[in-house]
Amino acid sequence: MNKPPDAGEILQGTLDMLILRMLVLGPAHGHTIAEAIERTSENALEVEQGSLYPALHRLEDRGWVSSYWGVSENNRKAKYYELTKRGRKELAAAAGRWQRMTRAIGLILGESLSKQREGA
Amino acid sequence: MNLRRFVDRSGKDQDLAEEIESHLAHASDANMARGLEPEESRRRANIRFGNARTTRERVWRYRSLPWIEDLWRDLRFARRALAKTPGFTVVAILLIAVAIGVNTAVFSVTDAVLLKPLTYPDPQALVELRNTSAQGSFPGANIPKFALWHAQTAIFQQVAAYDFGGAGMNITGGDHPQQVQGIHVSADYFAMFGAPVIAGRTFTSAEDSPHGGNVAVLSYGLWKNRYGANPHIVGSTIQLDGQPYLVVGVIGRGFVTDTPADLWVPYQFDLNSKDMAHFFTAAARLKPGVTVPQANSQLKLAADQFRRLYGADSLPPQGGFGVVSLQEASIGDMRTPLYVLLGAVGFVLLIACANVANLLLARAAARKREFATRAALGAGRGQIIRQLLIESLTLSLSGGLIGLVLGFAGVRLLLSINPGNIPRIGEDGAGVTLDPTILLFTLGISVLTGILFGLIPAISASRPNLAAALNENGSRSGMGIRSGKLRAVLVVGEMALTVVLVIGAGLLIRTFLNLQSVDPGFTMHNVLSMTMSVSGDRFQTTAPVADVIREGSDRLRAIPGVLDVAVSNCMPMGGGFGMGFDVVGRPKGNDPFTGGAGFYSTSWSYFSTLKIPLLNGRTFTKQDDAAAPGVVVINQAMARQYWPKGDPLKDKILIGPGVGPAFAEGPRQVIGIVGDTRDAGPNQPPFPMMFIPLAQMPDLETALNSRVAPLYWFIRSGPNPRTLVNPITNALRDASGGLPVAHIRTMEEIEARNIARQRFNMLLLTVFGSAGLLMAAIGIYGVMSYSVEQRTQELGVRMALGAQASNLRNMVIRQGMLLTLIGVAIGIGGAFWLTHFLASFLFGVKPLDLVAFIATPLLLSAIALISVWSPALRATRVDPMTALRIE
Repeated sequence: MNKPPDAGEILQGTLDMLILRMLVLGPAHGHTIAEAIERTSENALEVEQGSLYPALHRLEDRGWVSSYWGVSENNRKAKYYELTKRGRKELAAAAGRWQRMTRAIGLILGESLSKQREGA
Repeated sequence: MNLRRFVDRSGKDQDLAEEIESHLAHASDANMARGLEPEESRRRANIRFGNARTTRERVWRYRSLPWIEDLWRDLRFARRALAKTPGFTVVAILLIAVAIGVNTAVFSVTDAVLLKPLTYPDPQALVELRNTSAQGSFPGANIPKFALWHAQTAIFQQVAAYDFGGAGMNITGGDHPQQVQGIHVSADYFAMFGAPVIAGRTFTSAEDSPHGGNVAVLSYGLWKNRYGANPHIVGSTIQLDGQPYLVVGVIGRGFVTDTPADLWVPYQFDLNSKDMAHFFTAAARLKPGVTVPQANSQLKLAADQFRRLYGADSLPPQGGFGVVSLQEASIGDMRTPLYVLLGAVGFVLLIACANVANLLLARAAARKREFATRAALGAGRGQIIRQLLIESLTLSLSGGLIGLVLGFAGVRLLLSINPGNIPRIGEDGAGVTLDPTILLFTLGISVLTGILFGLIPAISASRPNLAAALNENGSRSGMGIRSGKLRAVLVVGEMALTVVLVIGAGLLIRTFLNLQSVDPGFTMHNVLSMTMSVSGDRFQTTAPVADVIREGSDRLRAIPGVLDVAVSNCMPMGGGFGMGFDVVGRPKGNDPFTGGAGFYSTSWSYFSTLKIPLLNGRTFTKQDDAAAPGVVVINQAMARQYWPKGDPLKDKILIGPGVGPAFAEGPRQVIGIVGDTRDAGPNQPPFPMMFIPLAQMPDLETALNSRVAPLYWFIRSGPNPRTLVNPITNALRDASGGLPVAHIRTMEEIEARNIARQRFNMLLLTVFGSAGLLMAAIGIYGVMSYSVEQRTQELGVRMALGAQASNLRNMVIRQGMLLTLIGVAIGIGGAFWLTHFLASFLFGVKPLDLVAFIATPLLLSAIALISVWSPALRATRVDPMTALRIE
């Protein structure tokens, strides 16, 4: 398998954000999106294929992406997803939330780690 | 919620399948690009993707409404569970259906009579004009009062006058003369009540003035039935009492007035008249923003003005004018009976609720193991509660549905036994319909009972001790303390409510029996009565009326089988006119020497026809006519009240002093004293009455009389008078020159009608009481048989240890009867208090009647004993070996 040993599962709730982020680059079909996430994360993240499609459908129902059938680079039929205006807004909001969250978690972890070092 | 996700699930699933296929193709392309064999590439792509079907199912579920699907599943499960115990299901549904049906029916009638405002537009502004006095207020108006009220434009938008009873009119000029309910009204009547005119117009004020011409407005019913809905009726002429009347308009269907009418003619009052005789009712529509108190204070000033105009004696010393809401005036004393009815219905509903709750509790307890199993298999508490709730909701909604059908039937039934004097139910009860409010009310009750019935057992069933329920105790463990106590409380409550209902029914049954056995003071057997309307111009003086009476009486007597014939302007037991009088020679205005009494004008044979006994003096003869000196016969009550010591036969009285020109006459000699009749109804004491010969009435009084009341004919016969109806009506038509008669009824029918309301009340409460008894019996039977079943093991052990069958039987009976007795005791306590509300319906029996209060508990205990007998017997038949082995 071409799975790296430290491949991590994607945190719950972040898959939507990652998909939206990938679509900023332009319309893409499911396989491309999954590959792009894995490649961009340097294979640190592994997209569980069983979650990818439910997530895409959910995003479409919410109106954050739209879809159309097209022909892929391999000359195959593929369903393309495209970021909508509302999707773009949602991505900005989600990214903001995520950054605040990681900063907060980073602050806490940084402090506790330094305390541990003091105690040791 | 995003609705898009629920749309086109299969289409989207198909789409997703293709999408996954496309993904796999791309993945295997990528693998091939890395140099793998095509088959291996595809295999790896498949492995990497995982189970495509799982993905599709995930999306499918995401596109579904889980609770709807769960609900559907629970519903199917509930149906299966209920079908497994058909006995329980049928009994429970029937209990709910009956309770809700009864409730709906009674509520519908109550709604139409009591809750629904009058059918007229803006009914809050309609008021009835009243005469006020120290004793209270009463309707009735004369022309001077009407003229004054009519002038109060500051408070009234319209004031209208109308006949209250009506003398009836004869449509003549065809092959079939017909007596119809013709009502005199003033011009504003239609506008005030908002009558819908479907053809032509109503009266103009010119037509409602003296010499305004003969005009009539037809009701929808008359137009349809007599004139075949002839579209050209407006502008044509019909014959009323032999006179041509121009039809100017037709009123639309559904115009229900409190004085029902077939047609209307204008009063044509002379507003300058000083005639003080009261002969009609007046109502008014308040100006917008004017309140009843404001109107009353304005009318106080009007009363002062009235005295200034017509003299200080024109109104009684403390008398005046006032208004009451027309709604209140027309509903009158129906309020209390209907509230009592509603109360009784509430009781029945409560009993039914208790019973169904009881059944559900028993059922839930018996299914303890099932729930424990489900809980052990992972069902959450919420799921078990939901399951049980859905079961009971299924029950209550099915019951509610059947109940609705029963309600429809019940309304019809109520109307068919309706005593005929329930106001405002319209023609054939057309005013009573099951309207959306009632539909919602019923639905609300059935859902509420479902939740209530369902929740109690559901909560107690949802916390079973899993291990205990599954292992040793099974379904046959003693019933849980909680539900056992609850069920006992429910049974006690049912018993208590039933006691109250049955005591109430008992009181009303005794009232009815008492009323039936009251001696009305005259004979009703084989007496036929009918009305003849003498409203035309022909009968404006006494002589022609007296001729018709004499001629008719002679012809009727000639009919074989007819024994006696009489005529009166009042119907015995039908209420009549009241009039003041002075005893000549006594100081005026000083009780008891002057006063008021019922005032009847009769033909000479009235007392012999109705077999009213003569106590002193003589009654009228044919010779007491206009030419003879004035005479009057009084009844015993009048003699007692006004001649407590003296002899009335020595006195003369002056009838109707100062009432107006119609009653201006000389004093009359009291010639006889007759026995009392209960003319105010069988439950009222006799009141003073005076009788004068019809042939001796002043002409103006006859004219007034002909306008407001028909002549009542009474014919007593040897054979059943119903068999003589044809010769009688023919003879009367011949004798009167073609006048038809109407309202042909025997006195017994009239009496039945008079006590019909009591019969109605009695019937209803008897039905309720019996329903309560039946349900209470089912309840106690259910509790005791269930308790015996639950204790099979215990009973087996007792038996094995040497208990006698009789010991066991008595134990069960003792327990059942203990519950009964507690319930009965509480019920008696409640009845002590509640029967006081019945006091006004009772006659000849006190609210705390010993018979009812002793017989009811005995009856109930007997029924309870019968109900616990069979479970008790079952207890003795427990086979110790089987019982011990049963689990």
